[in-house]
Amino acid sequence: MEKFNYQNLEDLQKLARIQLKDEEKKDLLESLQKIVEYIDQLDSIDTKDVACCNHVSQVQNENVVRDDVVGELLSRETLLENAPDQIGGMIRTPPIMQD
Amino acid sequence: MDLYKLSAYELRNLFLDKKVKATEITEYFLKRIEKNNKKLGAFLTVLSERAMQKAKELDQKNAENKPMGRLAGVPIAIKDNTHIEKEITTCASQFLTNYKAPFSATAVKLLEEQDAILVGKTNLDEFAMGSSNENSSFYPSYNPWNLDCTPGGSSGGSASAVASRISLIATGSDTGGSIRQPSAFCGVVGFKPTYGRVSRYGLVAFGSSLDQIGPIATNVKDIGLTMEVLGKHCPHDAMSLEFPAESYIENLREDLSEITVGVPWHFLESLNKEAHDNFVQSIETMKSLGANIIDVNLDILKSSIAVYYILATAEASTNLARFDGIRYGVRSKDAKNLEEVYDLSRDQGFGYEVKKRILLGTYVLSSGFQEAFYKKAQKVRTLVIQSFDAAFSNCDCICMPTAPITSFKLGTFQDPIGMYLQDIFTISANLAGLPAISVPSGFDKDNKPFGLQFLGPQLHDAPVVSYAHAYEQATKFSSKIPPLFDKEF
Repeated sequence: MEKFNYQNLEDLQKLARIQLKDEEKKDLLESLQKIVEYIDQLDSIDTKDVACCNHVSQVQNENVVRDDVVGELLSRETLLENAPDQIGGMIRTPPIMQD
Repeated sequence: MDLYKLSAYELRNLFLDKKVKATEITEYFLKRIEKNNKKLGAFLTVLSERAMQKAKELDQKNAENKPMGRLAGVPIAIKDNTHIEKEITTCASQFLTNYKAPFSATAVKLLEEQDAILVGKTNLDEFAMGSSNENSSFYPSYNPWNLDCTPGGSSGGSASAVASRISLIATGSDTGGSIRQPSAFCGVVGFKPTYGRVSRYGLVAFGSSLDQIGPIATNVKDIGLTMEVLGKHCPHDAMSLEFPAESYIENLREDLSEITVGVPWHFLESLNKEAHDNFVQSIETMKSLGANIIDVNLDILKSSIAVYYILATAEASTNLARFDGIRYGVRSKDAKNLEEVYDLSRDQGFGYEVKKRILLGTYVLSSGFQEAFYKKAQKVRTLVIQSFDAAFSNCDCICMPTAPITSFKLGTFQDPIGMYLQDIFTISANLAGLPAISVPSGFDKDNKPFGLQFLGPQLHDAPVVSYAHAYEQATKFSSKIPPLFDKEF
């Protein structure tokens, strides 16, 4: 069986929330199969006792925190300028629940 | 006066000495952009009004002998995945054609504070995903040395603009080589700083553990000048390094005496003959400059592309989850309910390559595959870092070509792996967070530029730039201007 199959693609569409067009699916499936086969080469590398790299900086490894005070933020008006649809100072979306 | 032949450093000094006005400089470069941008596809937006407004302010300030910024009067282009307040940031995506940036990126703010003149936003692969600029959803960008060829990617527009001297400096962002590879392809200098050296605040995120903003310029000294402005701590980026800014210009070297350069010969075995010969010649130049050349083992880098396409897509799939058509961006007109707003906006807004990478990233993070792919890649990333640590215990810097080939014709790579393999020499600097610079190293038989790359340990940004300067001064390849653009207008 292929490492990456049509069912994987269907599942990923839901997880990634992208509804693919039918004409895109064939090409994406082939391309992703090739890539998955390629990245699978890592399996041959011995990583026993090797830790995951969770943090790339070698010179600054402390957690970065700041005082819990309200800073200067962008105004509501500024942020709403980019909203696709708005009403009464809020972002409007199509209905969330059906009747 | 042939202003386009000057370095940014020279142009600034000319302006400070009142030999040329900022308005003259700006009109001159806007005219060059107008004349050439159709051919090059380098700019997505030209900020004529903003630039002229800034120029007038600078002329006023200069006339009153007020203190001027370090980049006073220098035209600079910004990659269009980086915010300039009140201007559109498209990321070359149909998703963001209407997105007006509510604030400026820290990098942009620093450049403006130092009196740079922002002339426009440059073309890129959509969301910086690509190595040829063919993934721009508007139009591709072209290489000034050969207009049938790619300028590289993803910062292809920035490199194309600088190589053609329609802007003297441009910013780029580098997640797997997106500053260095286009710089090599276009015969200009590009620098990816240490991870955390330049703030990512206001850069649209791709792979957060890999992304870094950096400059592209016509010469190494201008890289230093720009880094002295950009390389500062910023509280808005949690990974921003809390170290003082470095001095680059006063530390530029003319030779490489007492410098040990590591070369991963075994890893470079597969280079084609022309690229190999060019690289060997660069090594000879470094020897003549006094460098001690040693062999280092970086064979693990053969796995770096696989590691990268797991980690970068995993990070991208989470970063790009924010584009949902709710708060900003283009919402699908076909959506009748909330679910469809997400599903259709993302299908219609994202291009093919972006969708592919989001799906791949989602796959490697999904239950059942995370251990085999994501965690495995994180472990191999550790091995990459350890290999570099071992190498740097014996040398000051490492040299490799920037790319395995020179610029290629648009449409050359139909196979995804073939295109991804072009990043083999650049990706490792991102995986290990290292500073790396690409500097022009000659031309192939078709007069297309080669690039040479210097990599150093983390925080050795200024030394890495200084080694590249010594090489540049000995070779002068960066002073070559593409013949098609070597005239004023």
